Amino acid sequence: MRFDFTPEEKDFKRQLSSFLDDVLPADWHGPADESRDDHWELNQDIKKGLAQRGWLVMSWPKEYGGSDSSPMMNTIFAEEMAYRRAPGHDRFGTRMFGPTLLRFGTEEQRKKHLGSIARGEIQWCQGYSEPNSGSDLASLQTRAVADGDTFVITGAKIWTSLAHRADMMFMLVRTDPEAAPHKGISLILVDMKSPGVEVLPIVNMAGVHSFNQVVFDNVRVPKSNLVGDLNDGWRAGMTVLNFERSGIDYAAWARAALEEMVDYVKSDEALVTSAKTDPTVRIKLAELHMEVEAARLMCYDVSYRQGKGEIPSSEASMSKVAASEVYLKVLDYGVEILGMYGVLEPGSKQAELQGRFFKMRLFYTSGPILAGTNEIQKNIIAQRGLGLPRK
Amino acid sequence: MDFGLTETQELIRASAREFLQDRSKSDIVRAVAEGDNEAITSLWNDIVDLGWPSLTISEEHGGAGLSFSDLAVLLEELGASLAPTPLVESSISSWVIDRFAPDSLKSDLLPQIANGDILFTPAIVEQDASWDPESVKVAATRSGSTLVATGEKRFVAFAEQATHALTLVRINNEEPALVAIPIWKADGVEQTPVAHASGVPVSSLTFNELEVPAGNIIATGNKAIKAVEELTAAGGVARAAQLAGLGRAVVDATVEYTANREQFGRPVGTFQAVQHHLAEMAIAAKQVNHLAHSAAWSFSQEGYSVVAAAQAKIAASDKIAELCWTAHQCHGAIGFTWQHDLHLYTRRALAWKTDYGDSAFHKSKLANAMGL
Repeated sequence: MRFDFTPEEKDFKRQLSSFLDDVLPADWHGPADESRDDHWELNQDIKKGLAQRGWLVMSWPKEYGGSDSSPMMNTIFAEEMAYRRAPGHDRFGTRMFGPTLLRFGTEEQRKKHLGSIARGEIQWCQGYSEPNSGSDLASLQTRAVADGDTFVITGAKIWTSLAHRADMMFMLVRTDPEAAPHKGISLILVDMKSPGVEVLPIVNMAGVHSFNQVVFDNVRVPKSNLVGDLNDGWRAGMTVLNFERSGIDYAAWARAALEEMVDYVKSDEALVTSAKTDPTVRIKLAELHMEVEAARLMCYDVSYRQGKGEIPSSEASMSKVAASEVYLKVLDYGVEILGMYGVLEPGSKQAELQGRFFKMRLFYTSGPILAGTNEIQKNIIAQRGLGLPRK
Repeated sequence: MDFGLTETQELIRASAREFLQDRSKSDIVRAVAEGDNEAITSLWNDIVDLGWPSLTISEEHGGAGLSFSDLAVLLEELGASLAPTPLVESSISSWVIDRFAPDSLKSDLLPQIANGDILFTPAIVEQDASWDPESVKVAATRSGSTLVATGEKRFVAFAEQATHALTLVRINNEEPALVAIPIWKADGVEQTPVAHASGVPVSSLTFNELEVPAGNIIATGNKAIKAVEELTAAGGVARAAQLAGLGRAVVDATVEYTANREQFGRPVGTFQAVQHHLAEMAIAAKQVNHLAHSAAWSFSQEGYSVVAAAQAKIAASDKIAELCWTAHQCHGAIGFTWQHDLHLYTRRALAWKTDYGDSAFHKSKLANAMGL
């Protein structure tokens, strides 16, 4: 039992923090999520800087550009990046696709793709959800048909973050329509510049273009782009979700937002002066402080277990549920404290904190929905974690 | 970050589970709740034999010299089994005596606590039910080497079994003082038992011109205030550890019940509505466990974290009580009966929620620490 970081971890956090002091504009307040369209150039600059320092893929083996670090170092990295609302950490390549390729890819595929991710050169996106396959992902219908040395892909993916910025997509396709749903799926890599790929923007309820629909019309992909065995993509694809599922970003965003709110309440410039004197405000902020810490510890526990070689899928689901929910609680309360100012849109005259809380609250409505809804996570916790029967 | 248990802690957990499985069964918990004080004495004697009251007392004073984290692991098991025993009262008292008492008093009291000759219980709260040491009113007048105490302390757990009350008084209506007051069959101490949801003995102690040697003073002035703040923080973390264990036990019992209870031709635990209740309960239990461990660990370091202690007690108080109510919902009508054990857990969770500072008390502490 030990609840602090090692000297090495503390030192890394200091270095990263000081790097971010240098590269982030003065008075930087986000946006935090790299999948947003704004600040793309800053995103790229920071990504390059992180790559040069070897920080993008620390937990990967040395031969692929990593430094064999513990999963905890990755978590510290992700937490600090999110806490500073810094763009540029490329979760699709570094956190999801890379680790999957390390486990399921051929040596040739690893050599070809991992280096460019480690160097921050190639942007990946994730092609999983389809218009008719969301939570029931195994029902996906996008087809890949073998034709000589290629697969021909036809269908559509949706809610694809960063597709409009991505060079490459890792996607799940149906390769055997006769087999049971989970048994006929393959994981395949597609160059986004291939003829027949069309990216259609979708604007979210916060007014931000962060995700897209991607249509595939007879897109030809070399057979060497298949990852793992044919029709065995479900296993690899689910592994990606295990890597994806940590709540650490939300926990760190929640901590940053809570601190911003506490500073606002204390500030002499705050227009909502009642927040300073209302005794219920301090009590509620203290409660949120506890909730944020509780979620954060859940995320550290996931990394601790990963470091021991476990695949803590129930714990990862718990951390995602806890952290995505507490972040919304913090944002809800932020909007509430701001009262009538709380619903002013960003850019509006008289908006307090530049209307950030309202916009973040709208934007992160996605938290409990994406990467497996929190309802799906609770199914996983109940069935895999607690061992409750499915039927 | 290390969420694992040390070898010592694994050993503590395993031996505690084995012991409590027999010695803290529900018929014993129920008997104690119905006033069987002999069952308390018998259990406590066995616990003394196991050396548990000496766990965190330094070796110099006859203890095992283990850490607060080690104690937390043990307390989880006591919480999970609802053990009706004053280990928290004793451990927290010895912790505070060790940190604040003058050396002579330490070497007198700690070895006796360690070997079970004496038993301490904290007596801080008065009529206003507040854990704020500034609100203390019980008066002590000093005459020479004697203190004469008059007034009432409330909600003193296991006062009927304890030999000493770790009591906060105000000397000459002014300076606060923390005093080791012998209460066992003492003239001038009147006990008024209350019927408490914890299912263990809880009493008011009325001091009527009770004479106590001034040498029993552990701390005075700001040091006494600090001692009580630390006692409340440590007690809160101890209760949080117990509540973490209690929460885990209730989750396990509810999984067991819903996986076997059939309706519509299938276990009710297959229904998503029930599974989601249980997933939320599991998250709450895990969070309380982490926060309790984190806070307990901070007590094993130099000083302790006021923030971590407050977080642990807030979470334990609020989340475990809610977890128990959800467990009742998952159990349906059977969990609403006197016969079913679930209400024993719920009663204990609700009682512990109020102990060593309730959620509102610790939120206020935490808000202070946040500069609010």
